[in-house]
Amino acid sequence: MRLFEHGEIGPQTRRLTASTPLDQVEAAASDGAPIMIEFEAFRDGRGFSLATILRERGFSGSLIATGDLLPDQARHLMRSGFDAVQLRPGDDPAAWRRMLEAFSVVYQPAFDAAVPAWTSRGKSLRRPSNAPPIDEGTTLGRRAAELNAALRDADPLTVLRTVLDPRQGLRVAALSSFGAEAAVLLDLLARAGPSTPVIFLETGQHFLQTLSYRTTLSKRLGLTDVRIVVPDAEERADLDPREDLWRTDPDACCDLRKVRPLARAAAGFDALITGRKRYQSGTRARLRVIEALDGKLRINPLANWSADRIATYRAERDLPGHPLADQGYASIGCWPCTRPIEDGEDSRAGRWSGVDKVECGIHLGRRRAAA
Amino acid sequence: MYRYDEFDAALVRERVEEFRDQVARRASGALTEDQFKPLRLMNGVYLQLHAYMLRVAVPYGTMDSRQMRRLAHIARTYDKGYGHFTTRTNIQYNWPALTDLPAILEDLASVEMHAIQTSGNCIRNVTTDVFAGAADDEIEDPRPWCEILRQWSTIHPEFSFLPRKFKVAVIGGPNDRAAIRTHDVGLEIVGRDGNDTLFRVFVGGGQGRLPHIGKEIATDVRGTELLAYLTAILRAYNLLGRRDNIHKARIKILVESLGIEAFRAEVDRQFETLRDEDLRLPQAEVERIRAYFAPPAFETLDGSSGAFDRAVLADPDFARWNRNNVRRHRQPGYASAVISLKGLGEVPGDITDTQMEVVADLAERYSFDEVRAAYEQNLVLPHVKLDDLPSVWRALLAAGLATPNADLATDVIACPGLDYCSLANARSIPVAQALSKRLADLDYQERVGPVRINMSGCINACGHHHVGHIGVLGVDRKGEEYYQITVGGSPDEQAALGQIVGRSLPSEAVAPAIQRALDRYLEIREDGERFIDTVRRVGHEPFGEAIYEGLDAAV
Repeated sequence: MRLFEHGEIGPQTRRLTASTPLDQVEAAASDGAPIMIEFEAFRDGRGFSLATILRERGFSGSLIATGDLLPDQARHLMRSGFDAVQLRPGDDPAAWRRMLEAFSVVYQPAFDAAVPAWTSRGKSLRRPSNAPPIDEGTTLGRRAAELNAALRDADPLTVLRTVLDPRQGLRVAALSSFGAEAAVLLDLLARAGPSTPVIFLETGQHFLQTLSYRTTLSKRLGLTDVRIVVPDAEERADLDPREDLWRTDPDACCDLRKVRPLARAAAGFDALITGRKRYQSGTRARLRVIEALDGKLRINPLANWSADRIATYRAERDLPGHPLADQGYASIGCWPCTRPIEDGEDSRAGRWSGVDKVECGIHLGRRRAAA
Repeated sequence: MYRYDEFDAALVRERVEEFRDQVARRASGALTEDQFKPLRLMNGVYLQLHAYMLRVAVPYGTMDSRQMRRLAHIARTYDKGYGHFTTRTNIQYNWPALTDLPAILEDLASVEMHAIQTSGNCIRNVTTDVFAGAADDEIEDPRPWCEILRQWSTIHPEFSFLPRKFKVAVIGGPNDRAAIRTHDVGLEIVGRDGNDTLFRVFVGGGQGRLPHIGKEIATDVRGTELLAYLTAILRAYNLLGRRDNIHKARIKILVESLGIEAFRAEVDRQFETLRDEDLRLPQAEVERIRAYFAPPAFETLDGSSGAFDRAVLADPDFARWNRNNVRRHRQPGYASAVISLKGLGEVPGDITDTQMEVVADLAERYSFDEVRAAYEQNLVLPHVKLDDLPSVWRALLAAGLATPNADLATDVIACPGLDYCSLANARSIPVAQALSKRLADLDYQERVGPVRINMSGCINACGHHHVGHIGVLGVDRKGEEYYQITVGGSPDEQAALGQIVGRSLPSEAVAPAIQRALDRYLEIREDGERFIDTVRRVGHEPFGEAIYEGLDAAV
């Protein structure tokens, strides 16, 4: 939805108030000319119904809202079918933009792109797989090796387009922390397949900046299926009733908040795309583009890219950075276990700094995570 | 019980962040109080006489022990050690600091609760039968539909700025224990057609200044079309409801002024052009939500219990509590137990943090981890084994929660009144307390039998006085608190509005007048008649005479 202050109103735009009776509004909209609806009082919600009805009855012209409106109504306007808002002098566009992105979840179908929860749930229902269980040692390992041979030196977009090609028969999701380097992978993914499910592990301990970055970035890139995955409430109440497990046992905390939720969320997929790169740390130095792990393929399209290449791509595509990246955070996880890095440290040095831990466990596989 | 998945959890968290942003803009002056008010109200935050009040939603009155313990924690940490259950099965905290509100909302979110849309001109918390899933006269458990409506109505893009508040209640069978005909929309499950549930729909009920009993608008709306049909009703109301006069803005006034036929035609017209395929819930989603409300793992019992029978014989106090507070259950060997929050001389609906902990423990141990809030401002343990009832009773007794007066004369429904509420004209709590003390004799109450007495401190009727068998309304008479009495109201499937019997009375005259009305009933009732049956047979006049008996004309 566009926000603007001046101009942009063509002479053919019909101006109506939100108290105009429906039949007159419909008559005004009959030839498809732009319609501007003025709200006389923000408490008077008739304009939301007028816009919804016009859209339902097939009006496809521009619908502009103006008048006494609050930023807090931005999403109501957008979802009711308005495609623009003319702000009044003194309105704060930043607040309007924030409120437009305040929610990642909707419960009702409406006229924006958001998918109602009940539809997303239908998609993520665990479909019983018809394929026989993959034997990691043979079938899956061989599949990974074949793909790896073909894609070892391919550019990331080719990797993504290949694995997302329906002929591969793979059910693919991506995994993103919406951290400091997430934008590059997600932009590539948006180019290759914007409706690919993106799993975000909502640990409940993220920086607020990460949460707002998630909404901003998803919207900007046009990702349509970002799935927020939370820890099981009962497990959390059992294992971490005071929400301070990270102090005493960061491994158990990662297990509760990331490893287990991911296992549940990934149950319906055959392949998970990650944004890991070899240069990030010692543990990732031998990373392959395609791996087999815990009965699934791991697709790492950026494995070969250098830090410079990442930076160039980000600049070329003018991708918004994580708000904390400017403050020295090179890799961003949960707030209790992340600090900025010093010059010369590797990019993951700020994670679990001070304890003998470098990976949360979601990339290790069951056997090693348990060890 | 419904459990949040990632979508529900994310939405509630994002709502807390949104509210934080709004509070910050209010503090910076970017929002005026006039702009902030509807936003805070839609998060349950009121400004009362002495402090802010937070109204927390208990969706369709269902809680588990973890949630009840968190409510106790909030009472203890952020309030004065108690909470107040309302006539819309919500809980109110009367003394939170504004600055604590985001922390309280986060605490609630961590147990899958919120305060969203407990106030404001939007679709409010959906209520239902407190015995849903336990009653033996139910066609279908209404709670899955309540949850579907909760989700659909939450942050609705089209219906968040309605002319006035909008309340929906749902019941699962013909016996109305949720007062659906006093709601803006009342839904009654009337049967099934294959996989689909059929609803009878009432519209335009409401209390307040101009009370109306809801009118039937549809007889058999299919579950698959329920959201589309409600959308059509709300759309007609949103476009045509009055916005020039707050007292005439509820849908009841629109329905009354158009007439039910014309309103139905308007709804049908909207329904015709709806994109109802979008609003058709996937069957898989209905089944997913239904699965959360599957009956708990009841044991197969033969319906009698030695422990229970022995306790009834051995302890007359237990026997009395059992007579008055225990309700029949559909599962042999089980019962539902009403926990009265109407102790002698206490504030109706109030409960302390320690009492909440006791209730949570009992729910966890004896009632499949479920406790319900009733619109009568009591709590219910829905699924207790007869064998366990004596233990439950002893624990309740020790906590001061075993008052054996459910549905009797001292089970008074009362709003907070002028003790808290900025809208009130008169206090309701002290009058309810005086009545409770005057009628304290339990033998007398049992002789009178079931009678519903309701008190409201003002015409907004939060105490549902219009539909009390005996209603008491606080009015302001030249700066003095007076009380108008009505007789013959009823909230059930034979819903009726009470008749005003005469001039209003000063507060100290109310309790004796009500007792005289009850005494008159004892004199004139026929065999087997409840109070309301006698009123229906003879009219309200004999009770009016009793109420004014001995009062001189000057009052």
